[in-house]
Parts: sequence; structure tokens; C-alpha cells
Amino acid sequence: MTRWLLRAGMAWLLAGLAGGVLVAGHDALGLPTAVGAAGPAVFHLLTVGWLTQLIFGVAHWMFPRAGADRPRGREALMWAALLLVNAGLLLRLAAEPLAALGHATGPALAASGLLQFAAAACFTANTWPRVRGR
Amino acid sequence: MPPLAARFIRTAVVLLLIAFAAGAWTLAAKGTAAAMPAGLRGAHAELALVGWALQLALGVAYWILPKHAAGPPRGHDAPVAASWVLLNAGLAVAVLGAAAGREPLVAGGRLLELAAVALFASHALPRIKACGR
Repeated sequence: MTRWLLRAGMAWLLAGLAGGVLVAGHDALGLPTAVGAAGPAVFHLLTVGWLTQLIFGVAHWMFPRAGADRPRGREALMWAALLLVNAGLLLRLAAEPLAALGHATGPALAASGLLQFAAAACFTANTWPRVRGR
Repeated sequence: MPPLAARFIRTAVVLLLIAFAAGAWTLAAKGTAAAMPAGLRGAHAELALVGWALQLALGVAYWILPKHAAGPPRGHDAPVAASWVLLNAGLAVAVLGAAAGREPLVAGGRLLELAAVALFASHALPRIKACGR
């Protein structure tokens, strides 16, 4: 589970940095206006895609065990977090630049936000019992 | 996990949920004609970067940095406990300032956050050493 989160995080790190180059240089490179409008989406590839998923993965690996029978809690919640956060980011990457250009992408953006929130909720539900002082 | 670390991490996880809720609201408002509450984006950024990511990092650092060979294994807890108070007080002030559109409040909140990190660094720097020393 941790490996999948870290691999996805690394992929988003590369994509985010590459996206940053394209956003900053879209004029000089003659790229479509939508690329220049992707700044906020690209920023979130780094902060959510890379940083938050890295934290999710390492926390899932390192935090105190939840119990003998399920040392890392319910894996299904973490799989859900992985799928939801990455689906939300993909949707955001597709829809947000179009919204900045005036296209009607309201439902897609709202869904993206909800997917990412749901991912955070799944992570919280699995991790909370493992965060205890001794 | 020491109780003080658990306090940082649990606070960070709660703020993760609040930050992502604010982010979802921001995204929904972006894509519709709905007006975005003033300062929502700034509050979301503060909650996510300081409240979630930074605070979790501080909690884990307090937990896992090398322990001292003599004296209290993790040093004195008072500066770390004080840094938790200052960080979250600063966060609250900065978020309220962002929501109210009052830049001086945001600056004041960030000063408290800076004080929190300085206090934490005073605790953490001596622990950045080879294990066993």
C-alpha cells in the first residue's frame, strides 16, 4: 500500500515540476492558453499529488500498529484514499484550466474537490486510531 | 508515540479535513457562478500548508529525531508544547485575518507561527546528530 502511494507521489512530483515548466514557459513555447491557465492545478499536483500522498504513504507505514490482527488498520480505506485522491487530481487537471478560460466545468470541479476530501476522510478514519500517545 | 507528538499529529489530521473541505468549497465556487467567500482561498492555503503539512512534520520530527544520550531523551517538552500552542494560535489568527480581509491580522498570525517554529527549532537542532551521541 505504502509503495503505491509513494510511487503515485513520485509520478505527481515529476508531472508537477514538468507542468511548472510548461506553465511558466507557455508563451515562449507557443503553447495553448489553457496551459498557462493550469497554474493552480499544477501547484496542487505538487502539494496534494506529491506531498500529501507521500505523507499518507509514510504515515501508513510508520505509525504505531492499530492492533495485532490489523496492524495498519483497514487497508480498504487506504486503497480508497489512493484511488479517490488520484481521481480527484486527474479531474482537476482536466477541468480547472478549462474553467479559467470560461468553459462550464462546474460539476467536474465540484466532483474533484469532493473526491479529494473523501480521500482525506478515508486516511483520517484509518489513521486516527493509530495516533495515540504512550 | 509520545503524547506530545500525538497532539501535533492529531491536530494536523483534523486540520487536513478542514483544509480539504475549504479546498473543495473553493473548487466548487470556481466552476459555478457562486460567489466565493472572501479569504477562503487564503484560509485554505494556510490550513493546508501550516496546519496540516508543517504541523505533521513537527510532530513526527519530535517523535523520531535521535534521542539525547543523557538527560531527558527528547529534551525538555516545554518549548515543544509552547510551539504547538503558538502555531495553532497563529494559524487561527491568520485564517481569521484572511477571512476578514485584514492583512495586519494575517501578518500577526504568521509572526506567531514564526515564533512557534523558532521554539521548535531550538528544541530540534541539538537532536540533529548521529544516533547515540
